[in-house]
Amino acid sequence: MNWTWFHKLGSPKWFYQWASNWGGRCVYVGLALLLVGVVWGLGFAPQDYQQGNSFRIIYIHVPVAVLAQSCYLAMGIAGFVSLVWQMKLAPVFIKSVAPVGAIMALIALVSGAIWGKPTWGTWWVWDARLTSVLVLFLLYMGVMAIQNALDDQVFADKAVAVVSLVGVINLPIIKYSVEWWNTLHQPATFKLTEKPSMPMEMWLPLLFSAIGLYLFAAGVSMWRMQTEVLMRERKANWVKKEVLEHGI
Amino acid sequence: MNYRSYFKSEWLSLLRRKQDTLNALLFFVMVITLFPLGVDPSSEFLSPAAGGIIWCATALAILMAVEGMYKEDYNDGSLEQWLASGLSISILVFLKVFAQWVMVVVPLLLVLPLLAQMLFLPASALGVVMWSILLGTPALFFIGSIGAALTVSLRRGAVLMLLLILPLYIPVIVFATGAVRAAQMEMAYSGQLAILGAISLVALALSPIMAAVSIRASVN
Repeated sequence: MNWTWFHKLGSPKWFYQWASNWGGRCVYVGLALLLVGVVWGLGFAPQDYQQGNSFRIIYIHVPVAVLAQSCYLAMGIAGFVSLVWQMKLAPVFIKSVAPVGAIMALIALVSGAIWGKPTWGTWWVWDARLTSVLVLFLLYMGVMAIQNALDDQVFADKAVAVVSLVGVINLPIIKYSVEWWNTLHQPATFKLTEKPSMPMEMWLPLLFSAIGLYLFAAGVSMWRMQTEVLMRERKANWVKKEVLEHGI
Repeated sequence: MNYRSYFKSEWLSLLRRKQDTLNALLFFVMVITLFPLGVDPSSEFLSPAAGGIIWCATALAILMAVEGMYKEDYNDGSLEQWLASGLSISILVFLKVFAQWVMVVVPLLLVLPLLAQMLFLPASALGVVMWSILLGTPALFFIGSIGAALTVSLRRGAVLMLLLILPLYIPVIVFATGAVRAAQMEMAYSGQLAILGAISLVALALSPIMAAVSIRASVN
């Protein structure tokens, strides 16, 4: 198997140039898809026979909630890579993705509350999924807090890698424990292994907005990583050249 | 230094610092006292809530005890001795956590019947509470030791450590109080206790490794 791409990822310079090509594309294509999905979903998809129009918030709520979990999973994997292979870009990735994921978790909580009011009659219930997203949000906050508290870069990178890795091992345990504890939420909307339970014209816009949001988040994270790479490599020659040529 | 001598010295120094153990215990009692005062002193409220109250107090008291567990070793250079000794840091962490656990949990179990009486916990449920503490608290100690190792070099690390670690305590609290509730409803509770034990075993296997990584990074 060819591992060059893996080794290339270890080089901040290579990543920087790769991301300047792909970051923008991801963001704009993602935004376009998101727009299509949301407009389609909010304006044209059929009403739900039970929840009426209020179900339409699904086109924001579900992609955001799924993304919030994916971001943490990605951070955990990056934490493992960072601890085992000491790859330079892994901590940069964690640092850049954490705020994105935290915001996604927050939007998921808020949009879930807004959805809960017409369907369940309250803004908040102590239900398994709501609670586990809340815990996820707190885990993100913890990662960001220790990031900010430690001044030494090397130590901060190690600490953040440990915290995200431990968090990822715990996340499924937390999820199942609260699920066992209390469940009111409808079961997961997206299941890769099963045929979707909703009709095509409701499901497609959801797919569009989910893919759009993923691309958008990936692009934004690349931008954030680029900034972080420039910060960290500020003494390297290629950064000086880059800044002189293109400005900041 | 070898493992045996380390454990012995750790054990002796814990025995001679009785105030630390006492503080954790007093904190535990204090938190429990807040619930009847703050919410409702009647037995209708306290009796079903007792398991949850005891577990919240236990988790907080253990966090307080664990938070400072490396502080002194960090300040007086013992942690550097760990690194220089050539011994496995994970095993040293394990020994230290084990000693701490015995010093905090045994006294806690001894005062528990008294506090359970004050919270009107039915006598039939007392045994389950004690089992859940015996099986669940190792996980709290081992997970907490990671947070303690990460924040040991910070001057104001306590709040940060709470923020990092408390979310990870949720599964233990959920299953422990679930066991107590099941026992109070006269249902089977061995499943929850088994899961508690399993969580503790996983924490025992993985946490010392992560704590060792954190200690290496902290000392440097």
